[in-house]
Amino acid sequence: MRTSLAGYLLGETGKSIWRNKLSSLLSCGTTALALFLLGVAFIINLNLGFMFQVVQKQMEIQVYLDKELSEDAYAEIYEAVKAMPGVAEVKYVSKADALEELKEMFRDKASVLEGLGEDNPLPASVRVNMVEAAMIPETVAAIEQIPGVDDVEYQAEAASRLASLGRVSQAVSLGGMAVVGLVAIMVISNSIRLTVDAKRHEIAIMKLVGATDELIVGPFILTGIVLGVLGGVFGASLAIGLYSWVVSTIQELLPFVPILNLTVETAVDMLIVMLSTGVVVGVLGSTISLRRYLRV
Amino acid sequence: MIRMKDVSKVYDAGVLALDRVNLEIRKGEFVFVVGPSGAGKSTLIKLLYRQEVPTEGQVVVAGNDLGTMRRREIPYFRRKIGVVFQDFKLLYDRTVAENIAFALIVTGAAGRDVIRRVMQMISVVGLKGRQNAYPNQLSGGEQQRVAIARALIRNPEILLADEPTGNLDPKTSLEIFRLIERANIYGTTVVVATHARHIVDSMRKRVIEIKSGSVVRDDRRGAYDR
Repeated sequence: MRTSLAGYLLGETGKSIWRNKLSSLLSCGTTALALFLLGVAFIINLNLGFMFQVVQKQMEIQVYLDKELSEDAYAEIYEAVKAMPGVAEVKYVSKADALEELKEMFRDKASVLEGLGEDNPLPASVRVNMVEAAMIPETVAAIEQIPGVDDVEYQAEAASRLASLGRVSQAVSLGGMAVVGLVAIMVISNSIRLTVDAKRHEIAIMKLVGATDELIVGPFILTGIVLGVLGGVFGASLAIGLYSWVVSTIQELLPFVPILNLTVETAVDMLIVMLSTGVVVGVLGSTISLRRYLRV
Repeated sequence: MIRMKDVSKVYDAGVLALDRVNLEIRKGEFVFVVGPSGAGKSTLIKLLYRQEVPTEGQVVVAGNDLGTMRRREIPYFRRKIGVVFQDFKLLYDRTVAENIAFALIVTGAAGRDVIRRVMQMISVVGLKGRQNAYPNQLSGGEQQRVAIARALIRNPEILLADEPTGNLDPKTSLEIFRLIERANIYGTTVVVATHARHIVDSMRKRVIEIKSGSVVRDDRRGAYDR
């Protein structure tokens, strides 16, 4: 016979999960599914961020400089651009560098460049990378105002499209997380309600002999937490396992698609997020189903 | 120990269960509450352990004004009261010992002491050797003994019983009342709502008769009928 309070709490929790195996399994499974979806949303979010970064890196602003200016004037422009807000990286490309790049590009067809002789027609330029794609149009406008800037080129459409795509997909995946989380809370709440219903008689006796509300509620909250955490473990394993498979498949079949490799660190982060969500879901689910039973 | 002052109870449906009841029960008393079914006996008992609150009037039990008592104080108040019912209210998936220990464990008592007290109580109520039986392996009388043991395990100041022998034969009923009387001898105040005429007549205790929600008789050494 268990005679300690802790023993009682743990024993009751274990018993209530075991006795309602089917409903426990169901709520655990649904929570796992919900948290799996949460994990997927999490991974999508991570990847969006990652892709965003990758594409942003490729999305340079090309600033062509006036051919007539001195190296000092170029340096001044370089500094002015570098000082702008939101600028991540600035690279100065001299006339000579530009020619080198061109030669590199046409390495196999050297004859194309032969006609140039000693004369270098290419302008010096400054290449700018932004922290955020959304800031590109503004920055371009500002750069165009700098004296000595001949022309500014960037992929305007791509930039704005990427920015809005980023915003939309982030909103969608966050919304998905919220919906899925709510479903999980409802499922757990329902499962605990079944247990509470089954134990009504016992709850009445507990109240009769003077058990406090905290003690009456304790095993149910604990049950909710255990279900939430178990669901979290299953869901996270499923999400991480599936993602690793997806990554390896994509890297094999479509090597040019930028996809984030799940590091141990990210996986641990994800596990923490999902398990804490599991705990929150469990606590909320059980609290919801208990609220009205306490008014006895 | 118990005082009711102008207590009325009207249920949600508009039923008047008790109508301006006044009574006082001193510490250590043994009181029978008698009257026809539906007279308000159960309501009176429920008011005493704060299962119900009075619509009007004041109920004071063991120094607590139950009308103004805060919700979180109720559990601590109930630990001073033992309650026994006609339908025993046992947990059928637990043994005799576990049922009795339940009242101690869920109120925070713990440790080796629990087992010692439970075993002692089992022998007090005459169930020695049955501690590992489950309630449905016991007779009705034995089940009520378990319920009484659970009610008494915390040494309550008051023992309330609502038709404790309603489901039992006369001989068994007598044994149950002997047990309740024994608790009274050790100092527990006892209030029993009952229809057990022969027992009320043979025990000659204080009898309060209720009819249609009102106290119509209060005899110091009364019988079931006037």
